[in-house]
Amino acid sequence: MRTGDFKQTYGELVTLVDSPPVWLWSALLVAGLIAAPFVLNSYALSFLMIIMITVVGALGLNILTGYTGLISLGHVGFLVTGAYAYAVLVSKYQMHPLVGFLGAGVVPALASLIVGAPSLRLKGLYLAITTLAFSFIINTVILEARWLTNGARGISVQRPEIFGLSFEGDAAFTYLCLGFAVFTLFATLNIRRSRVGRAFVAIRDNDTAARVMGINLHAYKLFAFVTSAFITGLSGALYGIYLSFVSVEGFPFLLSIEALAILIVGGLGSALGAVLGTILIVLLPEATRLVFSLFSAQMDAMFTTGAQELKSMLYGLVIIMFLRFQPRGLVGAWHDIRRIWVNWPLRY
Amino acid sequence: MQYFIQLIISGLAIGAIYGLIAMGFAVIYKSTGLVNFAQGEMTMITAYIAWTISTTVSGNVFVVALGAILAAVMLGLVIERVVMRPMLGEPVFAIVMVTIGLAVILRSSINFIWDAYPHGLDVGFGRTIVRIGTIGVRTGQIAVIVTLLALLAAIWAFFRYSKIGVAMRAVAADDRTALLMGISATRVHALAWAASSVIAGIGGVFFALSYDLSPAMFQLGLKAFPATILGGLDAVLGSGLGGLLIGITENLAGGYVGSGMKEVAGFAMIIVVLMIRPFGIFGERDIERV
Repeated sequence: MRTGDFKQTYGELVTLVDSPPVWLWSALLVAGLIAAPFVLNSYALSFLMIIMITVVGALGLNILTGYTGLISLGHVGFLVTGAYAYAVLVSKYQMHPLVGFLGAGVVPALASLIVGAPSLRLKGLYLAITTLAFSFIINTVILEARWLTNGARGISVQRPEIFGLSFEGDAAFTYLCLGFAVFTLFATLNIRRSRVGRAFVAIRDNDTAARVMGINLHAYKLFAFVTSAFITGLSGALYGIYLSFVSVEGFPFLLSIEALAILIVGGLGSALGAVLGTILIVLLPEATRLVFSLFSAQMDAMFTTGAQELKSMLYGLVIIMFLRFQPRGLVGAWHDIRRIWVNWPLRY
Repeated sequence: MQYFIQLIISGLAIGAIYGLIAMGFAVIYKSTGLVNFAQGEMTMITAYIAWTISTTVSGNVFVVALGAILAAVMLGLVIERVVMRPMLGEPVFAIVMVTIGLAVILRSSINFIWDAYPHGLDVGFGRTIVRIGTIGVRTGQIAVIVTLLALLAAIWAFFRYSKIGVAMRAVAADDRTALLMGISATRVHALAWAASSVIAGIGGVFFALSYDLSPAMFQLGLKAFPATILGGLDAVLGSGLGGLLIGITENLAGGYVGSGMKEVAGFAMIIVVLMIRPFGIFGERDIERV
């Protein structure tokens, strides 16, 4: 009989999944996602693409904020840098898309060194403020560097063709995004269970204790910044391709907030949480619209005129509600349900 | 030379507005230990309410001022009671995220309740240009600088001499001891939110008077941010002066370097300040909370 999930050996602590059926469920999910483009219409498919792209970015931010506990309000800066790196390399200099994706990771990673290195002395709110400042500065740099970025006019981006495989169609591009999402998920899960990931979590939980145990705070914090920026940049490149046009306006500051909202709603520091949070936040406006349209045509009309406003109001409301009533996020709720399911009718 | 003086004066005028909003940040930080990321949005809402009063009730300066102040007090009290008080005792990160959520809600409610077009706030005062020597200044610009200086003096006296002001300092210094001494921390928090809302709201109304009212006004909060960091998050008076400094820097950068530089001069400045003196010019050294 299962009496809970107590870890008894170090081996159990670092396994990728804590029970074998999870592999089965994950395989079924991936199979379902591969089948999805054949079933879904293009409207639903666009949501699937957005979810995949956002999952990549949310996992990237999760490394910094969730694992290492460094709050960043400037991740949209890395997103836009990644998108521009891809656009400049591929559209402007006709490089291979793979080089573009590499650049989309490396350029934000280098930028993160610039913002990360001076931020090492700062914690909490002050770090949040510096990263916020960084995201505004990067916007200005992009707008001013017209010779490279076309300034405010932006750069249009084609969907890539890699080794003869064209990702022009919606289905093919969904597969590309799915590939990136699955790869990122594996990568971040493995980072979490490696020596590096456990060092990150130690820094988050108590940096003084981590230091005493011989963890080099500066090196690991910088590493968290670089990894996070690399992954976020990839997400930015994908988003730029999805929009088929990269401009500063395409990446509003609200995206930084949205990313934090995803992590909070899903559950900070959990890869599963990042995925669940993304699904909820991306589908929330659509779901609300559907529910409201069932009630009356007038409500529906209100949504079409004030859709953007209501959408962002919902973000705000969801962030506040989760922080107030379920600070551990959807993952916390899932753990509670699982515990009750296993132990019922006993309490533990 | 005249160009330089003109830049300084208009820098002082916009800086005074930043200073007022920055004081709003500092008042809340000083008594609750939080950075209120919704400050710019609260500023904007007060300005919009003032505009609504001026177009629907009366354009009289005193009616508009009184209405705006009352509205700002209500806004601050409601936010503190409904949104912030239930979060007492939670980690600082969670509470700050709540203010971010609040900011998003307030910002979109502006577009929802009012509209997305710019409006001019007309109370029969503020846009007339006065000539001092060869330099033209708007009366609204003079008024905001005078108001900032008056408020700085009033707030200094308030924290120094009034019983409530001393209580607020006590709660800021150590809320548990303050509670044991019979000070109601919740009442102090409520007062801080109301005061911050009013001070920042005055800044918003002056901005609407001298420039224009638009949904982009929430950016004033972001612009005032460097001012608070520069002056010190826990230094109310320092934040007011920090605003003036940021205003001048921004205008000089915009005037001599380029308009892109104007937007980020403040942010570039806080990165430098945070590296050298993370607690600001007038802040106290030990303010690391998170």
